[in-house]
Amino acid sequence: MISHKIRFLFLFALIWSYSCQDDQDKSDFGLTYPDYFPAPHYQFGKNKLTREGFELGRALFFDPILSIDSTISCESCHAQGHAFADHNTALSTGIAGLSGTRNSPALFNLAWQPIFMWDGGINHIEVMPLAPITNEVEMGQDMEGAIKKLNNHPTYSKRFRSIFGEKPIDSQQLFYALAQYMSMLVSYNSKYDQYRQGKSTLTADEDDGLQIFRAKCASCHTEPLFTDYSLRNNGLEILNDDLGYGRITLETSDNHKFKVPSLRNIALTYPYMHDGRFRTLDQVLDHYDSGIVQYTNLDPLLIQNGQLGIPLSQEDKLKLKAFLHTLSDFTFTSNPLYSE
Amino acid sequence: MKFLNSILIFSTFLFLTFTSCKKEDDQPKQGEVTIEFDHVWGSAEGEFSLNKELTHPMLGEKMTFTLFKYYVSNVRLKAKDGSWYTMPESYFIVDADASGSNKVVVPNVPGGEYTDVEMMFGVDSLRNASGAQTGALDPAKGMFWSWNSGYIMVKAEGTAPTSTDGTFAFHLGGFKGENKVQTVKSYNFGTTALVVDGEREAEIHMLANPARLWHGAEKLAVKSKNHMPNALAKSMTTNFYDVVRFDHIHN
Repeated sequence: MISHKIRFLFLFALIWSYSCQDDQDKSDFGLTYPDYFPAPHYQFGKNKLTREGFELGRALFFDPILSIDSTISCESCHAQGHAFADHNTALSTGIAGLSGTRNSPALFNLAWQPIFMWDGGINHIEVMPLAPITNEVEMGQDMEGAIKKLNNHPTYSKRFRSIFGEKPIDSQQLFYALAQYMSMLVSYNSKYDQYRQGKSTLTADEDDGLQIFRAKCASCHTEPLFTDYSLRNNGLEILNDDLGYGRITLETSDNHKFKVPSLRNIALTYPYMHDGRFRTLDQVLDHYDSGIVQYTNLDPLLIQNGQLGIPLSQEDKLKLKAFLHTLSDFTFTSNPLYSE
Repeated sequence: MKFLNSILIFSTFLFLTFTSCKKEDDQPKQGEVTIEFDHVWGSAEGEFSLNKELTHPMLGEKMTFTLFKYYVSNVRLKAKDGSWYTMPESYFIVDADASGSNKVVVPNVPGGEYTDVEMMFGVDSLRNASGAQTGALDPAKGMFWSWNSGYIMVKAEGTAPTSTDGTFAFHLGGFKGENKVQTVKSYNFGTTALVVDGEREAEIHMLANPARLWHGAEKLAVKSKNHMPNALAKSMTTNFYDVVRFDHIHN
């Protein structure tokens, strides 16, 4: 009798531990990042992160179904090999060969990003895809039409139902799935990261470059994410009527301010600036050294002792470039988890 | 043993009967309250409808609305005893088309007598910045700016012969700073209370006047479009919200 009871308890414990194990396996799918990263800004909230949801988001990211004529997907302008920036083109091509006015940004570490777009106009990762999907020169697809296509699609309608339950697909489900995929794009395996984790050492030039970087660039391109997500006027010559942040706030003091981009993967994401005007890192460094244009709202960090710009010697520039190349994360650009 | 069992069953039965009776005695049935927005034109309160040529009393210009929609949210009802019933997830698009979507339906209102209704015109700032939403707040409804996150809280579109391109389109919103447009208003029903008992219809009739959007505004010949949160959006919506009034209740 007693042994029977024990056997029963044992069986119970086994079932219990097995079910716990099962839970553990499911919750293992999540954001991973090194301990020197801050806590992510996006905490998913009601959007429950699962492998299935992530994979659905990935399928949608690669599928031109979200554009009006099924010719452009998110991936058309955000390619993994370029850290999810466009294929080294200044301005991307949308539906029917149309083109916008700004450079496609690279996509990674978005869960840490509080605002989106070059002008910071979008306040949440979940509603970010609304802009490229509906923009007339990008995917040109109204949301109602996009949702209709997904509901009429045999595979997608099934996949959405298995994740979000037995109800028609709505834009929230689409945005949740895309947010799961986009948030999971975490880049933290560059040589710089290996160095931070004590797994690699920097060359003398790279190390010198890091010191120059910390002295002259890091107040805006703050480690470890290499941006402080602020909006600043960095003294670019005005080439068109893009007001940047000023378009959002309608304050003239915000005109021509743009979001500070991360410098991670910077060697892979040329051309540079909000409009892709600089093709090389040399041009970028020359701009900060000697190309700064004076504006009333020019970022104060770009005027030191009455002198415009950040003085950089030729040697500084070489060393800075050597360091910037340590920010390329080839594990990220070749991670099969992110590709279809 | 058998005797004990039957006592237990009997007492459980007694308990259930007693408690269910009590519930019915104390609480009048909950019911549905409908808030209907009727649209009128100008201070003369003339007929307003879509696809009908109207003359703006102040601008003196002709205009034909093809679309008129606005958000109403956070509906609350004040009971006679001073307590409030707050509707959860309370977001609505009031649409002036003839499809009956000019009605805001508040379900599951506890039975009782109500003296006031409170509502927000627009969408609270929290929901403007909380990511993807559903229902009336679904961006697919066309009432959310893609490039400058936030709800279009009033949307008025149509044609006007005096406008330079023959059309007008006012997308008005903004949820933060000095140009935030969302506004809480409350309305007292006067001497008669609204009875909710699950049987009688409980309707609150409101009157809204879209002509007020252009109260003291520039002519459509000068300004026929607005697509962003700004001072104009603030003044137009304020003028519109301020004269939405309680008309009568229907019980």
